[in-house]
Amino acid sequence: MTPEFRLKRRRHKILLYFVQHPQDNPANIMVHLSSLLLKKYHGGYVVIRLALAGHKQANRPFYRIVAAYNKRARDGKYIEQLGSYDPLPNIYNEKLVSFNFDRIKYWIGCGAHPTKPVAKLLGLAGFFPLHPMMITEAERRRAQTELTATGAEDGLQEGQNVA
Amino acid sequence: MAALGTARCLFRTYSRVKNVQKSKQILVRCSVRTLCSGTQDNALLDKTIPQFTDPAVQDILTRITGLDLQKVFRPIKQELKPPTYKLMTDEQLAQAVEKPINDVLSEDKILDGMDTAKYVFTDITYNIPHRERFIVVREPNGTLRKAKWEERDRLIQVYFPKDGRKLSAPLIFKEENLKMVFSQDRHEDVLDLCLVQFEPDSSDYIRVHAATYEDLDKHDKYELLRSTRHFGGMAWYLLSARRVDGLIVDMLKKELFHDAVSLVSLFHMVHPHSDSAQEAASQQATGADLLKIYAQKESQRAGYIELALQAYQQMAKSSAA
Repeated sequence: MTPEFRLKRRRHKILLYFVQHPQDNPANIMVHLSSLLLKKYHGGYVVIRLALAGHKQANRPFYRIVAAYNKRARDGKYIEQLGSYDPLPNIYNEKLVSFNFDRIKYWIGCGAHPTKPVAKLLGLAGFFPLHPMMITEAERRRAQTELTATGAEDGLQEGQNVA
Repeated sequence: MAALGTARCLFRTYSRVKNVQKSKQILVRCSVRTLCSGTQDNALLDKTIPQFTDPAVQDILTRITGLDLQKVFRPIKQELKPPTYKLMTDEQLAQAVEKPINDVLSEDKILDGMDTAKYVFTDITYNIPHRERFIVVREPNGTLRKAKWEERDRLIQVYFPKDGRKLSAPLIFKEENLKMVFSQDRHEDVLDLCLVQFEPDSSDYIRVHAATYEDLDKHDKYELLRSTRHFGGMAWYLLSARRVDGLIVDMLKKELFHDAVSLVSLFHMVHPHSDSAQEAASQQATGADLLKIYAQKESQRAGYIELALQAYQQMAKSSAA
């Protein structure tokens, strides 16, 4: 493929963008260059998800809550950062989560889908209703702790009996 | 380069002098709070009582702060950088009394035991004032509650860091360390640090300022604050607590007669129902008579004040003659 042919194809695609996507320029004819620079995915949609940041440090996860296209890599180029989530508790035993609620409302209004972990966090925050999996997880954990508690008691009793 | 550095230093000190006005407005809130927290609630309801921000009060306080150029334009110590502290937005201090936040938004017992750690959610929308930001905490037992004041301050510093503020308060603000610092006569540095670190209506701010002013009052070290931005705040605190005797004595010793008179008139403005105020109003006294009335009616060290007053008047006569 010669270089000129490739250039022509790209220009053709750009023209298509002008024609096919009036929703990028609803009321004005002004060109928004950012919409040209953003890649358009066939059948792609915007999601609000957790992207892992700080990949240079092993064993120290830190997530950014991000609005990105569905098809993009998890840690790749995103449209906008909407917050952060630190899964490791700090010295006050808190997990710090931040949300830019104004922009989250905007993106949800534009039709973005939140993923399951983001929906869970938003449910915990009180912004969304509680996620059913959260409740299930809580119940499972409670059952687990009860089991270990009774298991420990039984173990203790057995130990006493044996000794 | 050196000239630039000195120019910067001069500018900073000058802005410190300029910001005397602004810092007094910050300190007003804590003094309003001390008024409320005492048993003077009816005084607060009475609108005629002068506030810290009133122009007349500010005028008097600036006058008695004095302007010792040597002290103001001295070289700044580099390790403590008092910022050009801009006035905080008024809505931050809209509430008169700081009530502890105990608001529970929801109790979800179904979520009990979901995690061992708390989740703290902060709203990082850029254009809201920090007072109105939503900061909520989801406890491990499922309760969703609003964050307490200390947590709020800490998290706002995490997401919107301010120059000079640390996440956890420097150890200098503990009681024992404060005593040590006071023994080294470094009240001004402590107050500068406190200004940077704490919000003006946080309990820590009020506590540190109260401790500093008490210590100064006890040891009569008013000279340390004389030409700085903190002098007005100290004067206001002592006025509200009605313990201006030491300050007046100090002023008379240093022969700052007009300052003493303005201080007493300020006292009468702030406490219009006290004996000396009513006496002064009835007699329309000015100058030395004001001091005499105050000495007789209000102060515990009446003898000393009258002696000092006599000495001053004799000196004035001898210098005039």
